[in-house]
Amino acid sequence: MTDAAIPPTAAGAKDLRSLVQSRLKARQAQEARFKFYGQLAIVLALSFLVVLLGRIIHQGASTFFDYRMSVAVYIDPAKVQRDDVASANFDLLVAEAVMVKLGEKDDEYGETSAKAMELLSNDLGFQLLSQVRDDPSLIGKTVTVTGPVRADAALYYKGQIKRSTPQGDRKLDDRQLAWLDRIKSMGMVSGGFNTQFLTRSDSTEPEQAGVLGAVVGSAMMLLVTAVLAVPIGMLAATYLEEFAPKNRWTDIIEVNINNLAAVPSIVYGLLGLAVFINWLHVPRSSPLLGGLVLALMALPTVIIATRAALKAVPPSIREAALGVGASKTQTVFHHVLPLAMPGVMTGAILSLAHALGETAPLLMIGMVSFVPGVPQAVTEAATVLPVQVFIWENASERAFHERTAGAIIVLLIFMIVMNLAAILLRRRFERRW
Amino acid sequence: MPSSRDEAATRETAAIRIDAPPVQTTPLAGAKLSARDVNVFYGDKQALFDISLDMPERAVTSLIGPSGCGKSTFLRCINRMNDTIAGCRVTGRIDLDGEDVNDKGLDPVLLRARVGMVFQKPNPFPKSIFENVAYGPRIHGISSSKTELEGIVETSLKRAGLWNEVSERLDQPGTGLSGGQQQRLVIARAIAVNPEVILMDEPCSALDPIATAKIEELIDELRTQYCIVIVTHSMAQAARVSQKTAFFHLGKLVEAGPTDEIFTNPRDTRTQDYITGRFG
Repeated sequence: MTDAAIPPTAAGAKDLRSLVQSRLKARQAQEARFKFYGQLAIVLALSFLVVLLGRIIHQGASTFFDYRMSVAVYIDPAKVQRDDVASANFDLLVAEAVMVKLGEKDDEYGETSAKAMELLSNDLGFQLLSQVRDDPSLIGKTVTVTGPVRADAALYYKGQIKRSTPQGDRKLDDRQLAWLDRIKSMGMVSGGFNTQFLTRSDSTEPEQAGVLGAVVGSAMMLLVTAVLAVPIGMLAATYLEEFAPKNRWTDIIEVNINNLAAVPSIVYGLLGLAVFINWLHVPRSSPLLGGLVLALMALPTVIIATRAALKAVPPSIREAALGVGASKTQTVFHHVLPLAMPGVMTGAILSLAHALGETAPLLMIGMVSFVPGVPQAVTEAATVLPVQVFIWENASERAFHERTAGAIIVLLIFMIVMNLAAILLRRRFERRW
Repeated sequence: MPSSRDEAATRETAAIRIDAPPVQTTPLAGAKLSARDVNVFYGDKQALFDISLDMPERAVTSLIGPSGCGKSTFLRCINRMNDTIAGCRVTGRIDLDGEDVNDKGLDPVLLRARVGMVFQKPNPFPKSIFENVAYGPRIHGISSSKTELEGIVETSLKRAGLWNEVSERLDQPGTGLSGGQQQRLVIARAIAVNPEVILMDEPCSALDPIATAKIEELIDELRTQYCIVIVTHSMAQAARVSQKTAFFHLGKLVEAGPTDEIFTNPRDTRTQDYITGRFG
């Protein structure tokens, strides 16, 4: 290595400087362009999110606000038979009580009372019926019941049915709107937070419909999915990654697991229909069945995520454990798996969040049914949030559309709560050293 | 004792000339580990060729040679760490006290309890200092009570020269220590199991000179109790810490003998070239 061996560069020094200089502008422009594209992409993504959330919240927020009416109803002994309470028309009793307040009289065909009943939820009548049935001594007394107004009336109060619309094009006529204005000014109606939306289940009447049954159904189904998919997926991945010999069979298994993760979810629904319902006779449209199908769907994701997390554990940790004489199993369970746990949890949560929002396979296994109650066990018929959204979106009443958005908001909150829990859980597992 | 060991080493060196096929000799007196005709294959590729080497009890044997010469591969044969590598095949014998470590009936777990290992990069478990040292005794059931375990941890850390630095913070993460401290922690972890042999794979290559000096001092102390085999890139280190040196080149054992002899009077020209810095 003598100086002579190095080609003379003194002459090229100036050239190099000008060469670099001439390209510098292009390079800087390239960098600026790339930064701009990146920022543009983020702005685009964020604006989509804002539009999406804004639309849902705009449409669904009114669900959480409703109008409730208090009516003092005289239980007329002439109309309610002590020995046959159920045969009385309590809806009519309520309507008449309201009409008395409004100074209206029923005509002989009952048209006026029918119009009045269109404004009142039959929840009021149900409440009266159950109170009188429990305590027949109420007959002949005045009972005050409180309940929601009919969905269309609420839509008028919320400004979604407008007086400016021609009478023929709206569900309520001018007379009904006048009544609504008057009972509101009389203080019989008050607005407030719609707790019923969260404490009731599906109903044919929009004003009485709630998401509790769907929330409980979703929670039960996710529990089944998590209990099945997470441990099975973790064990399968741990075996494949740490213990299984690397040969053609394990290659085939690996390829198939990756393929399964990409199978359309409705196919899992078909599988569930064939295997779980027709063959194993798992109760139809139960959270157990939904959980089984979604567990199958979530398994490949859990396995892939767990394997990736195990691969990311530095080999030096394995060597360290093996070096002090730990067996393969001890190495994996004492050192490798605990270190992989945050990654495993992330994968599990992602696949569970995916399962929570899944609708298509559940339609295949009959979860798309009208379930007015809250399921008490995983084997009972239930509905889940995304399917509830689907059912309400298909309903014809306009008031259900606002409930659709309301249910989506509940679903999103459910998801956020779940993700928060996951982050907290992951923090616990994460060793910050 | 030292003179007979040197003699034995000289005899062995004479036997292992690169041109002549290695002569089968019975394990030498004082040899804790004795390798005979060890061949290692990674798939079709042969990494080690007919290695025969004795590693004496209560002494440090250093394995030197250029990168990729197979010295680490040989080291990993001794506690069967190569078992974990897919496609790796080992033939020949390595006797630990006359017992073949590759014996099918010998569980590698038992072997690795007898043959501890220290790796190139300090690799403490991401657990507390105490747990790092206590792990080995715990899985092998060496201690019967908590106080006994605490005693083992304390003794091991003392022998590794780390006790004074960490006695106040045993519950702190082992990964929070400095590189040199981590390496001594790892040595404490290895000796907590009370092994007979300690293998060290370039234990100082990731450390600064001061930490290196501490580790070398420690190796010199440990030599009085253990058979130590160390792979090193630094010839100065081999000269400082070891009593016996083996020079590997291209998967073959070129020369082995007492350290001072190898460094002052190498028989093979390749050894001479390597230790004088002409290649490697």
